[in-house]
Amino acid sequence: MIRMRRTKISRFLKLYTSNVSACVGFSIAAGFVILALVVALGGYWVLPYNPLKQNVGPAFSPPSWEHPFGTDQVGRDLFSRVLYATPNALFVSAVIIGWAMIIGMLLGSFSAYHGGRVDEILMRVTDLFLALPGLILAIAISVALGPGLNNMMYALMVGWWPAYARMARGEALRISRYDFIEAARAAGLGSGKIVLNHVIPNLVTTIMIYATVDFGQVIMVYAGLSYLGLSVQPPMPDWGAMVNYYQGYVVSAPWLPLFPGLVIAIVVVGFGLLGDGIRDAIESQT
Amino acid sequence: MSRLSYVVRRMLLAMFVLFGVALITFTLTHAISANPVVAFLGKAASIHPEIAQAYIERFHLNEPLYIQFWYYIVGVLRGDLGYSWTRGAYVSNVIAQTLPNTLQIVFFALLMTLALGIPLGILSCRYYNRSPDHGIRAFYLAGICSPAFFVALVLLLLFSYFLRVLPTGGIISVEVARPQRVTGFIILDSLLEGNWAALVDTVKHVLMPSMALALGNFGYLVRLLRSSLLEVMQTNYVRTARAKGLSERTVFLKHALRNALVPVVTLAALMTMWLVGSAIFVENIFAYPGVGHYLAQALGNLDYAAILGITLVFTTMIVLVNLVADILYTVLNPAIEL
Repeated sequence: MIRMRRTKISRFLKLYTSNVSACVGFSIAAGFVILALVVALGGYWVLPYNPLKQNVGPAFSPPSWEHPFGTDQVGRDLFSRVLYATPNALFVSAVIIGWAMIIGMLLGSFSAYHGGRVDEILMRVTDLFLALPGLILAIAISVALGPGLNNMMYALMVGWWPAYARMARGEALRISRYDFIEAARAAGLGSGKIVLNHVIPNLVTTIMIYATVDFGQVIMVYAGLSYLGLSVQPPMPDWGAMVNYYQGYVVSAPWLPLFPGLVIAIVVVGFGLLGDGIRDAIESQT
Repeated sequence: MSRLSYVVRRMLLAMFVLFGVALITFTLTHAISANPVVAFLGKAASIHPEIAQAYIERFHLNEPLYIQFWYYIVGVLRGDLGYSWTRGAYVSNVIAQTLPNTLQIVFFALLMTLALGIPLGILSCRYYNRSPDHGIRAFYLAGICSPAFFVALVLLLLFSYFLRVLPTGGIISVEVARPQRVTGFIILDSLLEGNWAALVDTVKHVLMPSMALALGNFGYLVRLLRSSLLEVMQTNYVRTARAKGLSERTVFLKHALRNALVPVVTLAALMTMWLVGSAIFVENIFAYPGVGHYLAQALGNLDYAAILGITLVFTTMIVLVNLVADILYTVLNPAIEL
């Protein structure tokens, strides 16, 4: 059994690494996560300049070796500011995805395992939430709660889990038909135990693959809300907020709004390629 | 299940969704902000106490929350979305003025999406896994993955500052005479009036925002069309058509493409949601006077009445498109199980 698993994993890795775009995606995503962790742990110390300090260089200096992304109108180093905001992006996406996975898996698998009226009611509620326009609702909720990183996350949580619940339910329906579930029931396990110990562990992989692709989407929506000023407040830097803050300088100092925007795009592409690569490798394996 | 009962069920769900959105946004704005007068009027509450008093009476703010909600819903059904202090006008009036502008760019964006997406989707299927397919994939991935505001800024730099062919923002130049307001859509109005100067000028202003929306959108179409074409080309009826001796062109256009386009209808809902959402950012960058621009302004000033109203209008649009797309899908594909 263990040997079979090992060959499966090595075949998967072989298929994955033979795909160039998948490797690019993996490098971008891994680079982003590592960078975010380093910055989160190290704070100002690991950055080239203090991201909040003014006049670390001449105002509006274009990208150079000293300031790779240039400096802004009060002489703050844009590269340090962009780096300083990476933990925010990682934190928001990890929390949203983690929450959606947990809620989705619990709800979806309980719903599928119970079937009948419970399933009907839970899935109608899920459909209702699935039909809500995510971004618009998130905007309205985070305005109501007041701008800020935490409130923005609560707003995103409302709309992010239903897709996961749907998917987990589909998988759980398939799994519930297996003999080992029947065996667990015959052994006298309660439905809670069966779902937690036998159904969910078997659908985690599928959900994880979806979550990888979805990671980039969270970053994208988060950048949008941040652009609208609903995330951390100035002077704290945030990717989307920086684009908004600097967009007036698009002609005189185009690097100011363009670099933060480009960084968002690169990270989102990275997670997209990573997820596609994993899916392709698994599909061509079977 | 018959189609009629399916349609009725879908409409009930749509109504539930609208009610749900109204309930969630209303409750949050009212339960969380300590003073609903401030929530509705913003800074105007302290500047004009008499307006605040009028508001308390008009919106029954001294009554329990569920009664307030009842009055709000009755007001919404009558087309009354409250008073927007940032514009100094009723929310419904401002939306009536700005919504046609937004629909204008959404319409052009949809046209551009189709014009880009269908040929590129066909090309990617034709050159499956060869370099044109990879090139197209890189192009649409860049579009899908870039935030709308980034695409808009890049276009702005390119077309307004380097090439100097398109205006930087707004909807019509100051020196051009606006057409008489008939439909509210400036392009339509100038066509009706025969005002060519206004028509050309507005089209110029509409082009870049629509392009920014289309570039982020067409990738979904390419991806879906490609996979759907690849699937259809494997089916027995395509093989039969080929065996009958039909030309490859006829097989492709009459048999494959037509069927491959059916699932594209389901994309309409996703696209509307995406377009409406992105319009907020794109309109903001181009200072284009649409609903999205209004929303961004309302957000900056915490104009709650406007935010609630726009949320409801956007949700209604999305839910309606969803409904139409779902019903259309059952008509186009009778084999689907309802």
